[in-house]
Amino acid sequence: MTTQTLMHVQTNRDGVVSRRTFFRNVAAGAAGLGVLGWKDALTLHADELRRQGKACILLFMRGGPSQFETFDPKPGHANGGPTTAIDTAVPGIQIAEGWENVARQMRDIAIIRSLNNREGEHQRAVYQMHTGYIPAGGVRHPSIGSIVASEIAPRDFDLPHFVSIGGRFATHGSGFLGMAWAPFVVSNPNTMPSNVERPGGVTTTRMARRLGLMTDLERDFAEAGGAHAVEQHQHLYGSAANMVRSPRIRAFDLSQESSSTRDRYGRSGGGPGPGGFGGFGNSFGQGCLLARRLVEAGVTFVEVDLNGWDTHQNNFEQSKRLSEQADRGFAALVQDLRERGRLDRTLVIWMGEFGRTPRINGNNGRDHYPRAFSVALAGGGIRGGRVIGSTSAGGNDVTNRPVGVADLFCTFCRALDVNPRKENMTPIGRPIRIVDGGEAVRELFA
Amino acid sequence: MHLFRSHRNALLAALVAAIATAIAVPVQADPPKKGQPAEKTVIYPTGYLRSEDWLKVSTAPLARGELDRLVNGQLKKANVEPAPRTTDEQFVRRVWLDLTGRLPMPADVTEFLADKSPNKRARLIDTLLATEDFAKHWSLYWRDVITSKVADQRLNLLTRHFEKWLFEQINANRKWSAITRDLLTATGDVRYADADENGQAFFMVSRRGADAVTELAAETSRIFLGIQIQCAQCHDHPSDVWKRQQFHEFAAYFARSRERPIFEEKKLKGSRVVSLPFGEHAMPDKDNPGKKGRALQPKFIDGKGPRSKGFKGLTDLERRTALADAIVSKQNPWFAGAFVNRMWGELMGQAFYQPIDDLGPEKEAMMPEVLARVAGSFRGSDYDVKGLFRDLMTSETYQRQIRPGESPDEHLLFASRNLARLSANALWMSLVDVLGQLGQPPRGMGALGPFARFAGLEPLFKQEFGFDPSSKAEEVEGSVSQALLLMNNPTINQKIQARGSNLLARILSSYSQDDEAVRMVYLRALARRPTDRELARCREHIRTAGSRAEAFEDILWALINSTEFQTKR
Repeated sequence: MTTQTLMHVQTNRDGVVSRRTFFRNVAAGAAGLGVLGWKDALTLHADELRRQGKACILLFMRGGPSQFETFDPKPGHANGGPTTAIDTAVPGIQIAEGWENVARQMRDIAIIRSLNNREGEHQRAVYQMHTGYIPAGGVRHPSIGSIVASEIAPRDFDLPHFVSIGGRFATHGSGFLGMAWAPFVVSNPNTMPSNVERPGGVTTTRMARRLGLMTDLERDFAEAGGAHAVEQHQHLYGSAANMVRSPRIRAFDLSQESSSTRDRYGRSGGGPGPGGFGGFGNSFGQGCLLARRLVEAGVTFVEVDLNGWDTHQNNFEQSKRLSEQADRGFAALVQDLRERGRLDRTLVIWMGEFGRTPRINGNNGRDHYPRAFSVALAGGGIRGGRVIGSTSAGGNDVTNRPVGVADLFCTFCRALDVNPRKENMTPIGRPIRIVDGGEAVRELFA
Repeated sequence: MHLFRSHRNALLAALVAAIATAIAVPVQADPPKKGQPAEKTVIYPTGYLRSEDWLKVSTAPLARGELDRLVNGQLKKANVEPAPRTTDEQFVRRVWLDLTGRLPMPADVTEFLADKSPNKRARLIDTLLATEDFAKHWSLYWRDVITSKVADQRLNLLTRHFEKWLFEQINANRKWSAITRDLLTATGDVRYADADENGQAFFMVSRRGADAVTELAAETSRIFLGIQIQCAQCHDHPSDVWKRQQFHEFAAYFARSRERPIFEEKKLKGSRVVSLPFGEHAMPDKDNPGKKGRALQPKFIDGKGPRSKGFKGLTDLERRTALADAIVSKQNPWFAGAFVNRMWGELMGQAFYQPIDDLGPEKEAMMPEVLARVAGSFRGSDYDVKGLFRDLMTSETYQRQIRPGESPDEHLLFASRNLARLSANALWMSLVDVLGQLGQPPRGMGALGPFARFAGLEPLFKQEFGFDPSSKAEEVEGSVSQALLLMNNPTINQKIQARGSNLLARILSSYSQDDEAVRMVYLRALARRPTDRELARCREHIRTAGSRAEAFEDILWALINSTEFQTKR
């Protein structure tokens, strides 16, 4: 591996540091603070270089969306409730009413209607649908976002590799992969992330001097027993400092988008909540737009959360309200990525932690149901306009082509050129496969 | 004492053997001397605790030095040398942060250093235990324990009620059993507008919706018993003894409790604990979730329950009272065990059982004999919280220096303290102690009504730095956003500036000697004097910086952003 090859990558990849920024980072690294760029970049292998440019956007429907009110409607059956089905751009494929925008993009979207799982408790299922593993055995499994970032993200990139939009506790972390691959959380896509600008009166040079001073002043503490913590701390401050310096930080600035683009993604949704008062507090659609901007800037994995799908009560009203936001955001994202030539290299996943019961309960709601539910995929080499698997007339069972969580995760890996059989090591030296078992759903790529 | 069980079935025995082999890893207890590798094999002193193991231990108060003798005996067997005792400087900051979540002021530090009396450490512990800051810090801790697992944001409007109530209980040193009983048997309303009333109902209204009954049961078990019985909700526990039916019998104590919103004049005013006149908890049929299962009798984890016949006649309050009775009973060892394990984890940075709220009988504990004995004395004291703090913190074991393991995950066997991050509350208070008030303090019920607490920097800061206090220390990681906040936040940086009545302006005008000023900044920010190397580095920075003010702003910035500032050493 020579520096020459590295330069080649630098200049070829869209959104990656220009030669000049690259040298500046190296200089800053040499000046004291651990900037990862140089050494790590040199260790990149040729096959890894080829992977660069692939990205993934996960639209996570927290709470467990009803398959009946989204991608597997059962009109005419008692279990289907009042929800009707609508035609899509692909003859023969119908989805639930309320998803008109997505219906128009169906040529690029594939639906799996035969997800089959056992976890019916939120926390455990959210864990599983983010990691591929059920929580057990004292291992903190990394999120798929952290895994993908650690596998295919360019090492010398100066924004976070993994961004999660929707609140600090909305996502799953990097587990045993460590904080280098932890998500950077954006709680409100409508404003720039807080504190990414240097405080008034502090120049770039002065900030670099401050960081250098801090590094030096930490030595004695590190030697007196704080070594592990200091090492992690320096890593974080290195990433933070890189971000502050990066011209690419404007990717977070939605005000650079036209009003019509922002409208297309949808601006509605969320609660009022003053800053800090948890929750999404703003629109899912704008989160989708931010995800597109970030991916174009070179971020490898973006998760956008839409909370509220736990519809034990008033399932139909609630699903309708949420579908309105999800439909606009999802559809605009797929269309936009296609029009901008980025869809082939960007896998878009729409899913929740489980589906909901076929039976409508006494509160006009639906309860948790992992046995048969739906996931939608687009981009990243996925062939759209097709449906994988099916459920019985009442939606109780998968009748054809069951897909397990491991199969689904293998499918993500295939779309993103990640080897699902690769073993990562936990800190205590236990090898953990990226995905344990399962097989990619081949029909999605053929 | 034979706490390591000798009779286990073959499968479990094999499993234990496998674990024992796996964890008998070579670690270096001392830095190797030149030329000779000093490898030692540490056999981790682990074992399991079942009900009978806990109960056969003495409940007498811990004798002076008893705790250290127990731990040291285990360390000797494990072939591990304990870390040196903390210096007075290290101790004073540690004990202030642990007990009050605040930094000692420079005068507190110098006074303590100057004190020559042999029992000054114990006296400092007593002094701090008596402060209101102690009660405030720990009421926030318990609030976080309960709220960390709640997604329901409406509850944010009631946390202040709970904090207030807890503050009063802890300040009065009420027994842990009395506090627990009050939480589990609470009734009535908690109103947003009245933070002084009925904060004890917070726990009971913390769960709502279809899963409220099972969630309350799971949290009660996790928090007060340290038992994660909820894994048995859907199937028999995969790695513990609990059966699915046991979980649902436990949940049946809450069968008739519900949270209901208080609506008045079409406005949401708060939450109410409602007792239903009838209704039973049933275990859902696994294969047919729609089918109604058999009504279950409330039963404690020991299989005993109130009124096996005619349990349907038990009112909601009778059920919850029966549950509280069973939990705080001296015959239930898990109650004391869970509390001691948790507090030990907080004070040492690592607990006997990790995570600190998972003490099931099939879970392996480090030095189980020691935990059982301390828990025994806690039972014997009738669950005296401050007494427990005193017992733990006056031990040499607590007063040891930090010393890292090979990896952040390694268990240090209490031979040294494990470095842990400050809680969001303690970090915020530390910042305020150094820099003074940051922005507008959140007011009570002002113009913003109950939302007043969510304005300004403090709530944002606490949200950014908050973590679940039940997580293991090594699992609590920093984030880039946290680094950005401390690096760049305008409010914080404004207070760092050597201007007006800010800290640095005062120090620089009082101390014309740079070395003295540096010492003062160190005392203030890290509660210690700088080392020679640090002082030299600061001098160099002062020499090369644009101005004296700028140089000291950089130094204070560097200390506040340092790992040491953000951790408990």
